[in-house]
Amino acid sequence: MRRTGIALFALAALVLGTAASQHKTWSWDLPPGIAPPPVPGDNPMSKAKVELGHRLFYDADLSIDGTMSCATCHDQKRGFADGNRTRPGVHGDPGRRNVQGLGNVGYLAPLTWADSRLSTLEIQVAVPVFGDDPVEMGMKGKEAEIARRLSKDKCYRTMFRKAFPETGGSIDPPNVAKALAAFQRSMLSYNSPYDRAGRGEHGALSAEARRGKALFAANCASCHSGDNFSDGKFHTIPTGSPSSDAGLAHATGRAEDKGKFRTPGLRNASLTAPYFHDGSIASLEEAILRHASVVPAAGTLTASQRADLLALLDALTDRSFVSDPKFALPHEACGKPL
Amino acid sequence: MSFENPKNPMRAYLLAAVTGLIVLASPASSRADEGHAAACPSTVDLPAELAGWNTREPLKAGKSADKLDNATLGIGTAVDAALLGTPDVKYASRPEKPGGSVSYGGLFAFTAQEAGRFRVALGSGAWIDVVRDGETVESVAHGHGPECSGVRKMVDFDLAPGTYTLQIAANGQPDLALLVTRLP
Repeated sequence: MRRTGIALFALAALVLGTAASQHKTWSWDLPPGIAPPPVPGDNPMSKAKVELGHRLFYDADLSIDGTMSCATCHDQKRGFADGNRTRPGVHGDPGRRNVQGLGNVGYLAPLTWADSRLSTLEIQVAVPVFGDDPVEMGMKGKEAEIARRLSKDKCYRTMFRKAFPETGGSIDPPNVAKALAAFQRSMLSYNSPYDRAGRGEHGALSAEARRGKALFAANCASCHSGDNFSDGKFHTIPTGSPSSDAGLAHATGRAEDKGKFRTPGLRNASLTAPYFHDGSIASLEEAILRHASVVPAAGTLTASQRADLLALLDALTDRSFVSDPKFALPHEACGKPL
Repeated sequence: MSFENPKNPMRAYLLAAVTGLIVLASPASSRADEGHAAACPSTVDLPAELAGWNTREPLKAGKSADKLDNATLGIGTAVDAALLGTPDVKYASRPEKPGGSVSYGGLFAFTAQEAGRFRVALGSGAWIDVVRDGETVESVAHGHGPECSGVRKMVDFDLAPGTYTLQIAANGQPDLALLVTRLP
């Protein structure tokens, strides 16, 4: 009896210890010299939370009719962008803006094309899931339905308990948002030829890309700045297409914000076509030319210089990121096939 | 998009312009989902390969690839497919977009009597896979049907003679208009 009691105590300690360590520990897989993305104090990273967010990211039960998951629009092989100009929601409502890639999204703020209020990934989750301007996944007013669907799955109940022991594993929209945010924060992309060249790998960048890098620094980097090639600020660049999109003004209501959109990051840009907020620009070369109204040099580059710039942009492609199983459709959870 | 036909880009462009079909460079199955809406006339002329679209017979989907004797599609014959709840479907190959527990899906068999390009047309944006011997066949083009035709999505496959499984996943409704047709 006493031995049984000791064994049970040891087992309980082991289980609790494992749960605690899964909750507390997170190891960023980052190259030397790169700081982790900012993490909100109320949503610390943990392995359990990222695993849960990974599964949720691919779960179409987050949409009203079970047809649309985050991954429906954020396709790994496209750098987690879409490939369409815009994507209609579950009820067929036209999408408002082009889907952006997610490599290093944890470093970007504000998020999306034109909403200064979206300062964290936790806040942004509500836009596709619960938003109605336009309807994307169609769950507005259906918060309890998400909990009902996920709670039916024993493995989800376990995963939420491990990820959120402080709430007793509550399956609710805030915890769904936190898990999705944690997973997206783990989507690090620092293994492009550009990155490897920065780490001293000889030959990682072609001669064309090296020339393109100089052109980029001289003409593009004032807005496409920093490790992720975005200053996080809002600018106006005419697309050439008639547009009813008010841009930042749609969120702020201020006339002076009309037509302004946040500088998009450029990581994996060669995979994320089409371009610009409305997806009206089919190719990166066309995108370069479209900048001529605000960067006159963009319109005067020779074909050879454009090729160099395109080689640099292509060198921002992290092939390991778009094939990494850590970010792909999960095929098992809780040790069982999905 | 980086869609181009490496063999004949001009032909691909013209095809896309005429039918709304995009030729794929590489991706797997089915995606052509920008949505379209217009005031529709009462009748819409359909190309010959879609001629069967408006005369559909009901057909129940199978729940697993080994039970499709009563879920066989005839080439060129459209059906109103009755799908199953996704949790009840056992896919031969896990769909890339599996659909949630509240969505619908199912399996059908069809036979390509001779090699050629076959088109799967459907009335929704559901995910589809064509599977043979447990392996998904890579699609070669995708797009949408003529405006107002009810054909929301079309995906083309180059197939060798043989019997294939058509997997439907992530459909929002339990019914689905469906056609497999051979292109000229």
